[in-house]
Amino acid sequence: MTTKVLDPREVLLRADHLRREMGDDFRDRIVSSLYADAQRIADRSVQIGTGQKWDWDQKIDRIVTSPVFGLPIMLGILALIFWITIIGANYPSQMLAEFFFVVEARAAELFIAWGVPALLTGFIWNGVFRGLAWVVSVMLPPMAIFFPMFTVLEDLGYLPRVAFNMDWLFRNAGAHGKQALTMAMGFGCNAAGITATRVIDSPRERLIAILTNNFVPCNGRFPTLIMLATIFVAAAFPPAFASLAAAGAVVGVVLIGVGFTLLSSWLLARTVLQGEASAFTLELPPYRRPSILRILYTSLIDRTIFVLWRAILTAAPAGAAIWVLANIDWNGVSLAQHSANFLQPLGYAIGLDGVILLAYVIAIPANEIVVPTMLMVYMGVSAMSDITSYDKIRTLLIDEQGWTMLTAVNLMLFSLLHNPCATTIITIWKETRSAKWTTIGALMPLVFAFAVTFAVATAVRALW
Amino acid sequence: MTSQAWVLLVLIFAIAVAWPKIGLWTQWRHYQAEKTRRLVEDALKHIVAWEQRGQAATPESLAGALSLSQRRTLSLIIRMEKRGLLRSDPAGFSLTSKGESWALHVVRAHRLWERYLADDAGMPMERLHQAAEIAEHQLSAEKLDKLDAHLGHPQRDPHGDPIPAADGSLKPVDAVSLSQWPTGEQARIVHIEDEPDVIFRQIIAAGLRPGVNIRILENTPERLVISDGNTEHRLAHIVAANIQVAEARHSLRPAGAIRLSELPKGEPAEVIELDAACRGFSRRRLLDLGLTPQTRIEVALDNPFGDPRAYRVRGTTIALRRQQAGQIWVKPPSTSANQQTAKEAIHA
Amino acid sequence: MTAAVTDHSNCETCPAHAQLEQMGVSLGKSDYLVALAGNPNTGKSSVFNALTGLRQHVGNWTGKTVMRAEGGYSFQDKRYKLVDLPGTYSLLSASEDEEISRNFLLFGRPDCTVVVVDATALERNLNLVLQVLEITSKVVVCVNLMDEAKRKGMKVDVRSLSRDLGVPTVPTVARTKEGLRDLVQTVAAVIAGEIATKPVRPQHPPELEKAVDELVPMIETVAPGLPNARWVALRLLDGDHKVRQALLSGELSELEGRQAAPVETVSSVVALQGRQ
Repeated sequence: MTTKVLDPREVLLRADHLRREMGDDFRDRIVSSLYADAQRIADRSVQIGTGQKWDWDQKIDRIVTSPVFGLPIMLGILALIFWITIIGANYPSQMLAEFFFVVEARAAELFIAWGVPALLTGFIWNGVFRGLAWVVSVMLPPMAIFFPMFTVLEDLGYLPRVAFNMDWLFRNAGAHGKQALTMAMGFGCNAAGITATRVIDSPRERLIAILTNNFVPCNGRFPTLIMLATIFVAAAFPPAFASLAAAGAVVGVVLIGVGFTLLSSWLLARTVLQGEASAFTLELPPYRRPSILRILYTSLIDRTIFVLWRAILTAAPAGAAIWVLANIDWNGVSLAQHSANFLQPLGYAIGLDGVILLAYVIAIPANEIVVPTMLMVYMGVSAMSDITSYDKIRTLLIDEQGWTMLTAVNLMLFSLLHNPCATTIITIWKETRSAKWTTIGALMPLVFAFAVTFAVATAVRALW
Repeated sequence: MTSQAWVLLVLIFAIAVAWPKIGLWTQWRHYQAEKTRRLVEDALKHIVAWEQRGQAATPESLAGALSLSQRRTLSLIIRMEKRGLLRSDPAGFSLTSKGESWALHVVRAHRLWERYLADDAGMPMERLHQAAEIAEHQLSAEKLDKLDAHLGHPQRDPHGDPIPAADGSLKPVDAVSLSQWPTGEQARIVHIEDEPDVIFRQIIAAGLRPGVNIRILENTPERLVISDGNTEHRLAHIVAANIQVAEARHSLRPAGAIRLSELPKGEPAEVIELDAACRGFSRRRLLDLGLTPQTRIEVALDNPFGDPRAYRVRGTTIALRRQQAGQIWVKPPSTSANQQTAKEAIHA
Repeated sequence: MTAAVTDHSNCETCPAHAQLEQMGVSLGKSDYLVALAGNPNTGKSSVFNALTGLRQHVGNWTGKTVMRAEGGYSFQDKRYKLVDLPGTYSLLSASEDEEISRNFLLFGRPDCTVVVVDATALERNLNLVLQVLEITSKVVVCVNLMDEAKRKGMKVDVRSLSRDLGVPTVPTVARTKEGLRDLVQTVAAVIAGEIATKPVRPQHPPELEKAVDELVPMIETVAPGLPNARWVALRLLDGDHKVRQALLSGELSELEGRQAAPVETVSSVVALQGRQ
């Protein structure tokens, strides 16, 4: 044991005295001597062979960050991913939908044969099950294609290059270049994108990234965009170019989203989140060969199953809610119709209709179920019993519900800009621990969505 | 309007005024107390500043510094005396120990806040003082201790003034005016007076700030010519008098040094130093990435927009914005022999 | 909540254990605690995944928005808990991540720390290794991405590296699991004391060293048995708040309580092996 007792405060006093003697470049000197040692040791143990060194990485980097090709390559890769998703997801989606409708019809028949009350049968099979079936068939195929491709890009090390290419834009918007990374993560899931903002060290710039992440369409919203692009945009082109045109339309929507990200960042950085730019140091790691197993694991288990499960959890009650709304009458008209009628004026003003807005209200827990909800409400008032292909959706929307190009465009814009889903809002709260920022994060996009769609609707109606 | 409505209105008004904690009366009282505190603290600052210069503040100097009328200055002095903050005698005022420790708290708040704004928030030098003038009245001792710890217990504010320690101890700057420094000798700027503002802005605009090494090339009765290694500055004596210098710690930036942001692509270079303006988190991060003196560096990638650029350093590729790269001084390795010996020196 | 810890050097009443609890790390049924440190982009998570497989748990560090991954693996009848520290360039607390890693190494007292380094950028990575070595001597350096170094025509002499650093160095390719068995074995040997480590301590400029030499005896009086008094002295000179607080509150002097324990561990491991 110790014999002499020394007060720790004396040690601190002495340390403070010595520190003041040495001046304020202490850190500089420590790091310099650490690096001098590191350099000496590394020099002794590493032999750099002649011939090829850094070759491939630098050559690829020169191309993907080139002043001429850098941005086109980025857009090209984005378009390619969407195109593959669109053409790849179409057929499996249709098959899944057909399968589920057969199951639904058979099961309902069976229930009736067993003497289960029609109300209960309808609730379970035409309500809850149909909601689930829709979510799985609409979402699973695009996700199972999109997420692995995105994970490949991530594992390759391409995303830091995207941040490098786009930093200038973000800097001018008063934000951090790494926001491009978090934005890219947002394509998968906005909640994941918001969690990813942790890579930004400056609290101010991180908050900007959190509040604006919602403007990149997440995977829950892609099915809506893809469906609309396929039904409305692709139909206007010859079949050979249809899927390309659809992919192009989705890229266009994404670019609008990026534009709104920059615009809202700029607005935030000039109003409530003023401040100076923080240090920007971004490492561009060497390209790595992605490991297939890991990609399948992360993209399918971590992302696809996670997002799908969340959608299923919200789709079941939503399906039940829609069925109840569609089957309980009041004054001879279903509650769904009542609600839709109530929302109709607002819906019309922004170029949509009451049913679409109702779907968005019901879909607050998860954006994934907007399209299924919408279709179910429409079907509740329509003669059609099953929807198994884009052609049938087309007939339902255009011929029966009177959708126009304006409806499609504004729905795409609304879907891009509207409020984040409940999970994302909770994530904003978890990351900021602030009611104020959570509220701003939830309402700012909604204001944008109404303003933009209203402006577009008004302009189009005035011109035509 | 009926009489009941009037009664109700008066009642509501009375409640709004008298409500505890958030009522208008309490709010007003709170506001008044804040105002008085600000006045008292400004007075304390003035007196301690004069004390540090070895002078005693007078009612006139105080009235001038706070732009108060004689009458209000006197009532302020009386109030402060009653609170046991100062003593007045024919020669002027002196602070009691209570007054002194409060004054040093305000000084500490001001300088720490300036340090914080400069290092963490990256605020330009010329805006620091005004911002800190407001913040100095709002920071509690606990908040200051936290800020002090967060900043790594800095010793000086961005102007070079010493920051009092938590216990109130203050180590004065050991420096002389630039005009008195011998010609030809190297010096390190340790302090820049922030008032008057016009002169301060002139000095800052020239890129001179605490930590920068300089050499006096010429000292005539008309002017002073100094060099920071690659740029010459001509200063009037009235400007030079506001710059204080001390012994240089390391050698002057060599001629031919350029900012990393100006380094042409394809030309290797080596780091000389990080600029004195690069501080706080930004400086620590650059050091941690290995941008220490004598490190070899070259431009690796340009960018579609021209900014940021990526640099190759210690086997890694790091992207930096132009503003940051501009704070890194490099030298093209025309003198590669020197560098070799420098490296050998490290090895030995 | 924690089951009886058998022959672990830790105990539930030891201060280090309390520190771990505070950081939200529970040892559970593991025998040893291993920390995984490294620069970002070194394949650290590949090493983590390859070692733990699906036995991992992802959460946050208590009270922080920094992700923490924990997992476990078994080797020769022993269970190891692996804690993945945030990827950092340094431990000098420029950011929250660095503070978390630093605090975990200092107060969590892992039985062994694996520092994953990128073979293609050794110089930058060694900066972190040297800093870790100043805090703890129970270190194994995992030189990952050896395949890429080879592809780039670099030859890494692992033995020279080991000699210069004073701690064992294991070359790996985490993606293909090459060298991982070696890594696990080396970690076990370092914990057991079969491999003696004698970490290199970087030399700083003379006036710094003088100040350090002056402080070290004082620190050792306040916190006897502290293995990294030199590092504590450097941190005090740099004005590191957390270390100051730890010295004042006595946390640092309490830590040495655990220092004596590994001897028991060594003997029990040796006894076990003798039996086999």
